[in-house]
Amino acid sequence: MRQPNLAFQVERFGLVIVWVAVILLFGALKPDTFLTWSNFSTIFGSEAVLVIVTLGLVVPLTAGDFDLSIAQVLTFVSMLTAILSAKLGVPLWVIIPTILAAGALVGAINGALTLYFRVHSLIVTLGVGTFLHGITLWISDSQTIGGVARGLMQWTIIERFLGIPIAFYYAIGLAAVMWYVLSYTAFGQQLLFTGRGREVGRLTGIAVGRVRLLSFVVSGVMGAIAGLLYTGTTGSANPSSGTMLLLPAFAAAFLGATCINPGRFNPWGSVVAVYFLVTGINGLSVLGFRTFVQDLFYGGALVVAVMVSQLVSGRKERNL
Amino acid sequence: MSDQPAPRLAIRGLTKAFGGVHALSRADLTVMPGEIHGLLGKNGSGKSTLIKILSGFHAPDEGSLQINGRPIALPIPLEKSAAHGLAFVHQNLGLLADATVLENLIAGDYDRLNPWAINWGAEAARARRLFADHHLALNPHDPVSALSPVERAQLAVVRAADRVQVHRAHGFGGVLVLDEPTPFLPIEDVRVLFATMRRLTATGVSIIFVSHDIDEVMEITDRSTVLRDGEVIGSFETATTARAQIVAAIVGRSMTTERVIGAYTPSASPAVRIAGLSGQIVRDIGFEVRPGEILGLTGLIGSGYDEIPYLLSGATSARQGQLHLPPDQHDLPRMTPAGAVAAGIALIPADRQRAGLALDLSLTENLTLPLLGRSQSALMLNHRALASITAEIMARFAVKADGPRQPASELSGGNQQKLVLGKWLQLGPRLVLLDEPTQGIDVGARREIYDRLVELCRGGTCVICATSEFEQLETIAHRVLVFDRGRIKAELAGDQVTKSAIAHACYQENRTHATA
Repeated sequence: MRQPNLAFQVERFGLVIVWVAVILLFGALKPDTFLTWSNFSTIFGSEAVLVIVTLGLVVPLTAGDFDLSIAQVLTFVSMLTAILSAKLGVPLWVIIPTILAAGALVGAINGALTLYFRVHSLIVTLGVGTFLHGITLWISDSQTIGGVARGLMQWTIIERFLGIPIAFYYAIGLAAVMWYVLSYTAFGQQLLFTGRGREVGRLTGIAVGRVRLLSFVVSGVMGAIAGLLYTGTTGSANPSSGTMLLLPAFAAAFLGATCINPGRFNPWGSVVAVYFLVTGINGLSVLGFRTFVQDLFYGGALVVAVMVSQLVSGRKERNL
Repeated sequence: MSDQPAPRLAIRGLTKAFGGVHALSRADLTVMPGEIHGLLGKNGSGKSTLIKILSGFHAPDEGSLQINGRPIALPIPLEKSAAHGLAFVHQNLGLLADATVLENLIAGDYDRLNPWAINWGAEAARARRLFADHHLALNPHDPVSALSPVERAQLAVVRAADRVQVHRAHGFGGVLVLDEPTPFLPIEDVRVLFATMRRLTATGVSIIFVSHDIDEVMEITDRSTVLRDGEVIGSFETATTARAQIVAAIVGRSMTTERVIGAYTPSASPAVRIAGLSGQIVRDIGFEVRPGEILGLTGLIGSGYDEIPYLLSGATSARQGQLHLPPDQHDLPRMTPAGAVAAGIALIPADRQRAGLALDLSLTENLTLPLLGRSQSALMLNHRALASITAEIMARFAVKADGPRQPASELSGGNQQKLVLGKWLQLGPRLVLLDEPTQGIDVGARREIYDRLVELCRGGTCVICATSEFEQLETIAHRVLVFDRGRIKAELAGDQVTKSAIAHACYQENRTHATA
């Protein structure tokens, strides 16, 4: 962040500009199906889950760690919610704190394994995530479980404000909270130094181990919130639901790091990146392209995002 | 330029300048067949530049190289040096600890190996024969991590010798360059390594032995060459040369440096007392620092003086030791960086790029990190206030930059160091620990940093500065402790603190003059 000059502003809002251009392009091609409020309100509402997963990733990424287990936390929590609600009839006010605690516990396990055994978080969370997926398949008997309490759906997808499902506002609210924490609290700076200058931070007295542990717990809790909303959005839990969200979330987190606050993983950039990606996919599918465009788009976006950010920073060797 | 028999290696008129400063100026070096030739000099004397030119890392501005009478074009491409009969063992030995002895032995031996079909059985047999020739009891299948330090050094030397011995088929022995292979070895292990070297020269190999340690050079070399300020001062027959003569050549007659610190007298009572401090290298060290005093710590490489700032600030954990910083007593094995900051201790580390600054982040973020949660509310950072604090400190410490939002990576080394100094001194520490504070910094910024340290003294702060630059100590230190193999070997104070006195203390024979 240097002097506010034109080139810098273009860099900051480049992705927003591209997003608008994409909307205009598809709008011109398919004005009556793509460019409708109902289409956009559906996108905004249904992709709130992806926004929250991406926000969850931003925290450990900022601290220099990967959390590959977040999507499986989502699946596991989603399944747990469905079983507790539909099969055992447990009320929501018991379910919600239970699953948030479950998410925090998984995060704490990730953090403890990474820190105590000094194993790369990529490996730890890959293993923990797969293990969780196993548990999910086990407790669900590999079946989709429906019939969750209507209240959950009511307060996720049915209730609307300005025509957009309320889940969208949860995601935006979480992005705002995260933006504040990252930008305006000492913890945000500690997280940043833990990722970008760990030795500097350590010598300045930051308990970098505790910061990393906490970042895993936060991403676990965010995964749990996303899982809860996922169940609310679909009204059911599918044992492989989260698997399809991991790569898009990474793509969005890295793409988000090229805008708004370029060079850093940041919540508003992540929100823009998620909606840019899903707009592109939605537009292409409206044009009649089939499901393979999702993989082309998400995979391509991840690679392009890291290429762009490396070009901007002058191709220095970096860990993340 | 003809010596009696044809020299194995002849360097003539080697010159290299970095940004107008001559690191090496018309240097000559002649190494005879089967000779162990010592290369001596202080830091910055041009030794490492010479070695880096030989190993192809730098291209010289002028000069020629002949090996066995054949002219070799400089710079030598890295992969070609073995083909010319040159091999190197650097201080870090270049061994992969996780791999086996055999894997390390054949790594990079592409001239000989078939890259598509490595015959491990034949290679192991060959390694056993090689080790037997060199009287080494190494099992090719052991991991290098299981080897003792001296066995690792021997393996590295034998590996290098093996590469150049392949070329003895061409009718000549090679040249081995050993660049400080001994500083971390105990004296009895150094002798073991010397025996390996002697057996090698008996087969016609020549060795260039780079070392700080005059005793080792006196013991092992046939001849030695001394460099000072980029020039060859002279070459000596080691056996017929007095130790004092070599020391004089290394140290030189120094011009007097301005003693900036001379005018300030520290108060008499000690403010900081360190007792029984042991780390990786230092053993049971004790000393005091008075308020307003700059205490210099120095020694040769491997002597352990540079550990002390990190041990006192909890950056690395001490094995034992007490730090008395009235009114508190700190148990150093339990010291943490956070505890040190809270106790009023500031560490300015040598590794500015990794431990001093987060280069990706802005000047403000770097500078104000220790303030968060102190003068700033931890839950509501005021970025405008943080930027103005930064601008103020940048002005006070004369940091030249576009503004507080610039990334730290864009600053010059001198400005980066002033920023690090500002980051810590704004906290008003009682004890400031510095490690090589002016490494890679231009003269102007160096002077500004000295001024800051003198200012600290006037304010009654205790300063400990670990450095290998004797001139710096003459300029700013009230008192200097000279370390040797983990212990304090000499203490110099007041008028005794001169470049040459420090150098003499460093190169002094351990056995006769050891004090504690």
